[in-house]
Amino acid sequence: MSPAPAPVSSPRAALRDPVLAPVVVLLWAAVALFVLYPVTRLLALMFWDDGPTLAAVVELVGSWQHRRALWNSLALAGLVGAAGTALGFAFALLAVRANLPRWVGTVLDTIVLLPLISPPFTAAIALIFALGPRGLISYHVFGIAGLNIYGLGGTLLSETLTYFPIAYLTLKGVLANIDPTLEDGGFSLGARRWRVFRTITVPLAVPGIANSFLLLTAASLADFATPLILGGTKFPVLPTQAFLQITGLYDMRGGAALSFLLLVPALAVFVAQRWWTERRSVITVTGKAGAATRVRSLSPGAVAALVLVCALTVLLVLTFYLLIVFASMVRALGADNSFSSAHYAHVFSGGLKAIRDTLVIAAVCMPVGGLFAVVLGYVVARTRFPGRRALEFAAMINYALPGTIVGIAYLVAFNDPPLALTGTAFILVICYVFRYSLAGTRATTALLAQVDPSIEEASASLGARRDVTFRRIVLPLIRPALLAGMTVLFIRAMTAISATIFLVSLSWSLVTVRILEGITNLELGQASAFSVMVILLVYAAVVLSSLIMRRLNAGSLGQAGTLLGG
Amino acid sequence: MSATGARLRLVSVSKRFVRAEQGVAAVDDVSLTVEPGELLTLLGPSGCGKTTTLRMVAGFEQPDSGRVLIDEQDVTGLMVYRRNIGFVFQNYALFPHLTVFVNVAYGLRVKRLGAAVIREKVERVLALVGLPGHARRFSNQLSGGEQQRVAVARAVVVEPRLLLFDEPLSNLDAKLRVQMREELSRLQRQLAITTIYVTHDQEEAMAISDRIAVMQAGRVAQVGTAHDLYRAPRSVFVAQFIGRVNLLPARVLRADTGAAAVTLWGREVTVPADEPVAAGQSVSLVLRPESVALLPERAVAPAPEFAIAGVVRGRTFLGEKVEYAVEVGGTLLQAVSYDPLRHGLFDVGAPVQVACAPASLRLLRGQG
Repeated sequence: MSPAPAPVSSPRAALRDPVLAPVVVLLWAAVALFVLYPVTRLLALMFWDDGPTLAAVVELVGSWQHRRALWNSLALAGLVGAAGTALGFAFALLAVRANLPRWVGTVLDTIVLLPLISPPFTAAIALIFALGPRGLISYHVFGIAGLNIYGLGGTLLSETLTYFPIAYLTLKGVLANIDPTLEDGGFSLGARRWRVFRTITVPLAVPGIANSFLLLTAASLADFATPLILGGTKFPVLPTQAFLQITGLYDMRGGAALSFLLLVPALAVFVAQRWWTERRSVITVTGKAGAATRVRSLSPGAVAALVLVCALTVLLVLTFYLLIVFASMVRALGADNSFSSAHYAHVFSGGLKAIRDTLVIAAVCMPVGGLFAVVLGYVVARTRFPGRRALEFAAMINYALPGTIVGIAYLVAFNDPPLALTGTAFILVICYVFRYSLAGTRATTALLAQVDPSIEEASASLGARRDVTFRRIVLPLIRPALLAGMTVLFIRAMTAISATIFLVSLSWSLVTVRILEGITNLELGQASAFSVMVILLVYAAVVLSSLIMRRLNAGSLGQAGTLLGG
Repeated sequence: MSATGARLRLVSVSKRFVRAEQGVAAVDDVSLTVEPGELLTLLGPSGCGKTTTLRMVAGFEQPDSGRVLIDEQDVTGLMVYRRNIGFVFQNYALFPHLTVFVNVAYGLRVKRLGAAVIREKVERVLALVGLPGHARRFSNQLSGGEQQRVAVARAVVVEPRLLLFDEPLSNLDAKLRVQMREELSRLQRQLAITTIYVTHDQEEAMAISDRIAVMQAGRVAQVGTAHDLYRAPRSVFVAQFIGRVNLLPARVLRADTGAAAVTLWGREVTVPADEPVAAGQSVSLVLRPESVALLPERAVAPAPEFAIAGVVRGRTFLGEKVEYAVEVGGTLLQAVSYDPLRHGLFDVGAPVQVACAPASLRLLRGQG
């Protein structure tokens, strides 16, 4: 993200700009109130009790249970990062280097999309259906009774299947961007496939591999839904412990302390990931990648092995989703497999409010968050006011933090007057806007990097004020970024739970919360029906957005990977 | 680095691409022989199949039919890494994660040479290409010309049987291009490695090649030295692709061996003819602009020259030369006159005599 030369030359000029200055003040005020203030309140709760105190920290480190949750979280995150990256790399190699027919790539992309657009819990529920104590695969197909998927194993499997698409999308881009003539160069010097792979392909992909590992580690650290279902009491992790501490024991300070424990590794991973992606640009290979080699850089044996691994994974993912669909349409999967529309009847009667609430919140989030995202992106990329970098970083905090922390911080900050906002729709909207606008901001800065600032200067030279230029020139140019940002907001509003679980109320509920209730009430059929609804809605949104992107000629911005990769 | 060149033969090589965007027949029945130590250039417009031909020689592409022979050994089905070639890519394809030294040593390490031998060979070749002391840099710390030299060093250090260049100079600026092509030419002669060189730049091709194969739409249009191609193009395409040309419509009166009498603007003239023609046939005459002499209206052309009246319709003064457009019998003729300070200028609209030596005309069977 290196911003193009800014049309506003000096910081002082920026401050005197009649339009820019109030916009910046407004942005800072919003970020301060909804990002910095909650985090500060969280820290204060931890370290301030009529004076600075470390009591909470001492208690935290002293608790055996909490230490275990920390180690569990770290171990799980590391394992998910490694396993998901390995799986994603296999998929990416197959898609980019195996010279398979084009439809194979399309099929891969479509199936891989499923976990990314699914509400949380989906893989976890499906895993219980498939491999649980009475699982369709484990018990009914293989006859294994009492297979225990609760604990590290099941959580790891479920999270890996949920998050490996991120690795796939990241690594696919990385592998595709490696100039094929580099591998050709290796071949022309007498190196065979394995040597070229080892000495050229993999070293060039290392930044991407590291990036993917860190993205997955962060996703796993923050994942609340999967361990809640599959971790059980034997495998406590930080997000679930924090949730139980607050909702079960009404121990706000304990929950805050646990979430603080999560904050440290999460921030470390986030910083490491930023560092890697910025470093990657050093080694990014440019050049005409036209003459793609027709040398099969994978041997037939390697292709066969990859096909096997990927086919099994795809089969597993497909089975999971078919199970969800199936479970939503029968009375009680595994016990009574007779067709029943009862679950959908419930979704469209008692569940209708949750769906309506979620859609209303998403509908409000999209324009508000989309505008916030592009204005922030524009201001960061194109102007030079004091504290620009700081604003950019501050706006990123809620995105970087695991949802559990954000949720608890909001709960701490907005539970009492003067800002008693918990339970309102407003706080849900605010939470999404400040947590999921980053995609739109990034898309905006990326688009603006390709737009010559002289275009805006031309508008200014014709007498347009900065806001006029923004409205008439910039906004039309970055429409694709606005759309991308709004699509991401919609998807997240439909699927997020980790932060909002702390913020919902009787008057404003969410579909994802209903799914969780379905699971805890052991009404898995209902949970499945809700999940299917969410998947269909989100899939429709992604397709619609891609179609509009194509109309806008937005290139890769419209691809699902760009919408969901981060 | 005492590589002795191999002889390369392409026998009826064809390649079609399935994908529509790459055209229908990329290479169509190409047969070529490159002699040991020779530098042959494949020259043609983009999409003519020259790069595909080169990549088939390298082994990056498999021909659909035909054979590739190196020293009469059939290598058609051999993987690229078994052919012992050196390939210089258009974008150099330097491994960005490796230093210059490791880049150049790559092929030697693949051959499992000892570390001491590798060090010595790499240092020698880097000195040869004029880059001593750059071994520890990375490619992004090098200028375009330096990257080019590393790419060449990496290709020749393995003492390949064939050296293959894929538009190696197209990413350099014009001045550096001229300098590098001279260096490449010197290096190639010094190492005497059989070389195929792909370019779309006719001047570059003429400057460095022993022979040039002009390609058009997947086929070899003509092979010959630069002089042959310029003096006696065999097709309208070659005539127009190499240099600038006037193609004059004419009709054959009498055909002879090696010569033909034709009518040009109603006058009879006898011109060299390499190919058999029949009386009455419509042909084109190739006339290079610099072979056209402009004389004052009333001057008398020297005896064997063909001369006809014309009118100057356009003039571009370029210092070392003047380019004229002269109208003769309803067609516009390009003419170039050198040393205008000595010969003076004709004004636009001035009546002139257009003269040329019949021997500088060349008969072509096609129509312009």
